[in-house]
Amino acid sequence: MASLGGSSSSSTEYIVRVPKNTSKKYSIMAFNSGDKVNCSSWTQARMERDMSNRRMYGVEETEEGAAGSEFGKKQREEARRKKFGIVTREFKVEDQPWILKVNGKAGKRFKGTKKGGITENASYYIFTQCPDGAFEAFPVNGWYNFVPQAKHRTLTAEEAEEEWGRRNKVVNHFSIMLQRRLREQERGPDDDDEEGEKGGKKKKKKGGRGGDLRIHDLEDDLELSSDESDSSGGEDGDSKPKKKEGDVKGKGKKKKKKRGSDSEANEDSDDGDFEGLEVDYMSDESSSEEEVGEEKAKSNKEAVPKGIDEASESEEESEEEKQNEEEGKEEEEEEEGKKTPVQTKKKRDSSGESDTSEDSDIDGEAASALFMKRTPPKRGGGRGSGGSSRTGSRPGTPSIDSTSTSNTLRAAASKLEQGKRQVVGGSSESPAAKRLKMESSSTAVTTQSPAPSGKSTPQPPSGKSTPSSSDVQLTEEAVRRYLIRKPMTTKDLLKKFQTKRTGLSSEQTVNVLAQILKRLNPERKNVNDKMHFYLTE
Amino acid sequence: MSEKGEVDLTGAKQNTGVWLVKVPKYLSQQWAKASGRGEVGKLRIGKNQGKAEVEFTLNEDLTMIDSLGNKPSGVQAPRDHPFTMQTVGGQTLAVFTETQSERISLEGLVVQRAECRPAVSENYMKLKRLQIEELSKPVRLSQQLEKAVTTNYKPVANHSYNLEYDRKKKEEGKRARVDKQQVLDMLFSAFEKHQYYNIKDLVDITKQPVSYLKEILRDIGIYNVKGTHKNTWELKPEYRHYQGGEEEEKETDD
Repeated sequence: MASLGGSSSSSTEYIVRVPKNTSKKYSIMAFNSGDKVNCSSWTQARMERDMSNRRMYGVEETEEGAAGSEFGKKQREEARRKKFGIVTREFKVEDQPWILKVNGKAGKRFKGTKKGGITENASYYIFTQCPDGAFEAFPVNGWYNFVPQAKHRTLTAEEAEEEWGRRNKVVNHFSIMLQRRLREQERGPDDDDEEGEKGGKKKKKKGGRGGDLRIHDLEDDLELSSDESDSSGGEDGDSKPKKKEGDVKGKGKKKKKKRGSDSEANEDSDDGDFEGLEVDYMSDESSSEEEVGEEKAKSNKEAVPKGIDEASESEEESEEEKQNEEEGKEEEEEEEGKKTPVQTKKKRDSSGESDTSEDSDIDGEAASALFMKRTPPKRGGGRGSGGSSRTGSRPGTPSIDSTSTSNTLRAAASKLEQGKRQVVGGSSESPAAKRLKMESSSTAVTTQSPAPSGKSTPQPPSGKSTPSSSDVQLTEEAVRRYLIRKPMTTKDLLKKFQTKRTGLSSEQTVNVLAQILKRLNPERKNVNDKMHFYLTE
Repeated sequence: MSEKGEVDLTGAKQNTGVWLVKVPKYLSQQWAKASGRGEVGKLRIGKNQGKAEVEFTLNEDLTMIDSLGNKPSGVQAPRDHPFTMQTVGGQTLAVFTETQSERISLEGLVVQRAECRPAVSENYMKLKRLQIEELSKPVRLSQQLEKAVTTNYKPVANHSYNLEYDRKKKEEGKRARVDKQQVLDMLFSAFEKHQYYNIKDLVDITKQPVSYLKEILRDIGIYNVKGTHKNTWELKPEYRHYQGGEEEEKETDD
């Protein structure tokens, strides 16, 4: 319905004033409506400029004062900066952000950053109504966007990336921050803090544990089974922090923490990742036994090979685990050896852990191996020193107690005797100290362990064993032939007995070769700065 | 000191409502010219068929626009400015003020946002045209000169600056050696202030000839060749004690 005329319009007029000299400067404080800020609910508030960006003239540079300062340093620095054209923006207080604290220490905090460019093209005015009905307009001097500041801990960008990758696996997000907190504490260790922290966390943890469901792969199960038994019924990652509480701080925590982080890192791998891994035997436990046994029988205390492959690693691992244990070494190793193929398949945490520590060891060993290689005749000394250094460098890993494997070991050893592999017999000479992964072999044990009567694998007869049907056999005879023909270096010899053709691993080759050389005791001569061996018949 | 930083929350508590109005630049310029109590115009708020209409009318005396150069441009500012009302939806806006003595107080909350628009008129168009003209002038201008500039560099027998310098030098004279002890005193007091000194600076401070000074320095100090404090002299360790700024001097034995 069209209405005629200007009906129903009423208006009131107000005078607008723009006061001239106000000492007050008006600014806008803008909050996001999502933050649900209700200004009237504030009981008290404090607001200050955030001066953290101010670079004091002397703050970043060396201290003032007599010691360590130079005469005229400031001016010189200033001149230098000018020369290079470095322009440092002036620190303007009015442009600095605000820090607003509402309701005291426990209340909210806001940071207000100045929004630029509001006075460039248009001006904002605040119209307030005065008691006399007139409007007063004040120009707005600045616009600050206030955002609430998080008091809870947040993840850094890298950590966030990590966690994002695991988002489908981790159900309990509480543990993410907990791990981070504990990691931080480890970096800046303070036991009391940790205690308090953990104590404080206890309640939450219990609650968390109750409702917690951790998706674990086979990894986790295996890992936990191999863990110490002090973990009380913890089947998920959450048990780790609890374990940490109970444990002796130093070692246990360190180990587990590392595990924790390791396990979390490891979960990143998908199924297909392990396909290319070299493992000696995929399924058969007995064959893995046999293999381990073989290797043991073969090896001697000689130098460590430079090459490293999976099998070597696993053996090394097992080595490491029991290095300090003299008795029952073989059994332990065997068990480890059994385990390791399985473990390597899945890249266990423990393997990962020992791997990392092994790496340093391997280097050390390789170094000592090199040393060994150069002076095979000087066996005693070389080995001794090498061995001792090696032992020293090994980290103390918990040794796995096992006594039941002696039988199997002996069985394996006896199999070896009949086997085509040549066993180096010089083990009896080997000094006590040297331990190699291959050393796990009975031969080493015989000499090193004081009375491993039942344990020691019977040595296959020293000297040449029947050569197998393969083309190239690493026998004393073969080596002798080479050395008679012409002088060769150890490297050359190794090349002759390539691992693919003899069927030995590189480490085994090295060991066996070293033993043979010991037995042969060839002449040495220096050609082109290289040590060559030769025999005269 | 609890006053500073403390925000006066009276405005928030009373829930004072204010309007935030966006005003064109020319209008705010005109408002700045207001005299007396600052009256600039009238605001009419009406309800027309249920809708609120707000309009601002500029005072007559404020309509004269001064163009660049302060000459009357003949352009008049439009007088009528309807307000466009907007909601404050996405943000919660509060107004706070800061005094010179750095007292902060919360004045109130914004309840209404508005934009002041000029009613389109001939006047407005002229005004806009004026603005565009002013803006389109280039900031830098190339100007052709009729005569070459010859006033800048004239050959001079000796520059005035040089003459002054020579005079100063003569006045100062050559540096005279004073007693070794005095020099040592000067050096020690200098090294109390800073640890590392350049030889030139020391010469400046002590006003001694370089060779003499070097002799003395070799006695009590060492010369840093490498490191961060390159080519600087510092006192020998036995002569210095920089622990939080001690005052005593070590006596030298001559």
